Amino acid sequence: MLHHLSGRRLLGGLGAGVLTLAMTACGGGSLGGEEEGGGAGGGEGGGTVRVGLVIPQAGVYTPLGEDMQQGWDLWLEQNGGEMGGFTVETVTADEGEGPDTGVPAVQRLLTEGDVDAMVGIVNSATALGVAEQVTEAQVPLIVANAGAEAITKDAASPYVWRSSFTNAQIAAAMGEHLAAEGIGPVYVMAPDYAAGQEVVAGFTAAYTAGGGTIAGQALTPFGTTQDFQPFLSGIQGSGAAATFVFYAGGEAVSFVQQYADFGLKDTTPLYGSGFLTEGSVLDAQGAAAVGVRTTLHYSTEIDNAANTEFVQAYQEAYGELPTTYAVQAYDAANVLARALEEAGGTGGEALSEALGGLGEIDDSPRGPWSFTNQTPEQAVYLREVADENGTLVNSVVEDLGVFPQP
Amino acid sequence: MLGWFDANLVSILNGFAIGALLFVLAVGLSIVFGMMDVLNLAHGAFFLVGSYLAVSFVAGDSWGGFLTALGVAAVVGLLAGAVLSGMTEPLARRPILDQALLTLGISLVVAEVLSIVYGNDVRSVSPPPGLDGSVDVAGSAYPTYRLMLIGVGLVLALVVWLVVERTSVGALVRASVADREMVSAMGIDNRKVKVAVLGIGSMLATVAGVLAAPVYGARPGLDETILLLALVVVVIGGLGSIRGALIGALVIGQVESLGRALLPDLASFILFGTLALVLIVRPRGLFAGKVAHS
Repeated sequence: MLHHLSGRRLLGGLGAGVLTLAMTACGGGSLGGEEEGGGAGGGEGGGTVRVGLVIPQAGVYTPLGEDMQQGWDLWLEQNGGEMGGFTVETVTADEGEGPDTGVPAVQRLLTEGDVDAMVGIVNSATALGVAEQVTEAQVPLIVANAGAEAITKDAASPYVWRSSFTNAQIAAAMGEHLAAEGIGPVYVMAPDYAAGQEVVAGFTAAYTAGGGTIAGQALTPFGTTQDFQPFLSGIQGSGAAATFVFYAGGEAVSFVQQYADFGLKDTTPLYGSGFLTEGSVLDAQGAAAVGVRTTLHYSTEIDNAANTEFVQAYQEAYGELPTTYAVQAYDAANVLARALEEAGGTGGEALSEALGGLGEIDDSPRGPWSFTNQTPEQAVYLREVADENGTLVNSVVEDLGVFPQP
Repeated sequence: MLGWFDANLVSILNGFAIGALLFVLAVGLSIVFGMMDVLNLAHGAFFLVGSYLAVSFVAGDSWGGFLTALGVAAVVGLLAGAVLSGMTEPLARRPILDQALLTLGISLVVAEVLSIVYGNDVRSVSPPPGLDGSVDVAGSAYPTYRLMLIGVGLVLALVVWLVVERTSVGALVRASVADREMVSAMGIDNRKVKVAVLGIGSMLATVAGVLAAPVYGARPGLDETILLLALVVVVIGGLGSIRGALIGALVIGQVESLGRALLPDLASFILFGTLALVLIVRPRGLFAGKVAHS
């Protein structure tokens, strides 16, 4: 009976509710042994290589995981399921949302999965969390998304490589470009977590170095900001001539739509790190996104033969346009195959050494790139969202040149 | 002073719009928990069902789609509440935590089914025609749809309050809260009362989901964010109180809007800071339901 309950017990019930709610974040993650190719032994004498594909299969990053899986599968399909003469066995593991699920997933791959190399990882904290383990196990890991600087800088390991980007690399390209354009004071916004802070720092450093001024900045609570109005009025009051932001996923959709709803789109042009308009979020943003300019190391609209072929093959296989996440996994497969061929074996030390000696990767859809400090030194493109016969695409405005990790 | 008011008018107005939305969302949770003693952690998942229904009926394209989504959501909510009532009945005399675990399990199942049906991509919904533009408020553009939300929220608040406080059905509900055995002895099946209250509470969640879709969109994980906000509103307002839910929602609306605009550096803490403050000053919330604690 309710009237016998004290307020304390009621609130205790509520507290327990909130607690159990928090516990749901720690869902399981299991080794989905999706084996490709035959069993051990291979056939043509090349032997097999076991590769762990660590991608999010549950939680907010699931769409990224799906794209990465498709990029990986497409490469294997195009190359007969072989890398440098080795038959590939892919063992997929669920990274989940954060290190609480991602680190154990990698641990299981190392102990039970018996893998020779690993590819994947969306979350930077997970990538940093597993660096020590993969180094100890001497199993090369090619990070195919996570963009934290430290992964290939302060926490660098000879066994951790990256086929994606770094947060500040993408932001610095935009900072340099806007400074050269002389656009005026820029307001900077990002979610208040490691990646957001790195983007803000990277942009601010490059923009002020080029002579630009910052009109103001706001770091919004990560994951709990549905409504950006309070921060948007900050932009209006700051006298900014343009806004530069970094958002991804659901926040990118809300931000771009509300930026248009509150009339800012017409007065203050919106610039961003490319993830703002990348992949499925672009469809959800709709007309509000048209005209938004971003920098990224990939766009489906890059004009080179490898990209044309890749986009066509990807569309035929999956019925949708590829994303940068798919390209990063596709390229990870490419460099791993080259390294396997070079090393002639699956030993971790030899593979890492071979990765370091690859030189320029000349057949990537993103254009030529190479490993510098074990992370791509690559062209960054200025892109603008355009409506092409009802499909929104990131059209390439300009190749801003090659940028290393700052 | 006037200058300050002018500069922050949009934020204050937005606080009312978000507050109105939070009220529709939280009042269902509040009456179900405060009156029927069922802590419904599936409330957020029911909300997300409503948001996805808005996606299904492309509520942004026509008023027909929007109203169909609202109608279907209301029916789905009523049925879900009735089912929930049946499922929690065997646990009625067990501790609240047992019910919380059951409803949490339901919310996980619902969220997973939604993710299977609609995929994991973020979906957005435009406001219905006529409300998809902006109006000029003190020199700034403000979305028309959000203005309408303020009106809808206030009307719903009045209706719910009138039903509970001024009708014989409301009297029956209040009576079964105060003394279930006595109501039974008078020949009224209080399980029916529970079915009705849970049905209406859950209906308010799904309807709130449709109403919120043009503002928040629909995506996996939104259910948990929304549930947390609703719990905060209920704790601040006091359990089982319509007035409390309204005041709690308006306070949280202003905290999330005006508060964040004025103190952007404290944006992460200001919500739970307010919650902590209220719990210290008024541990039972600002307006604990008077029936529940008579």
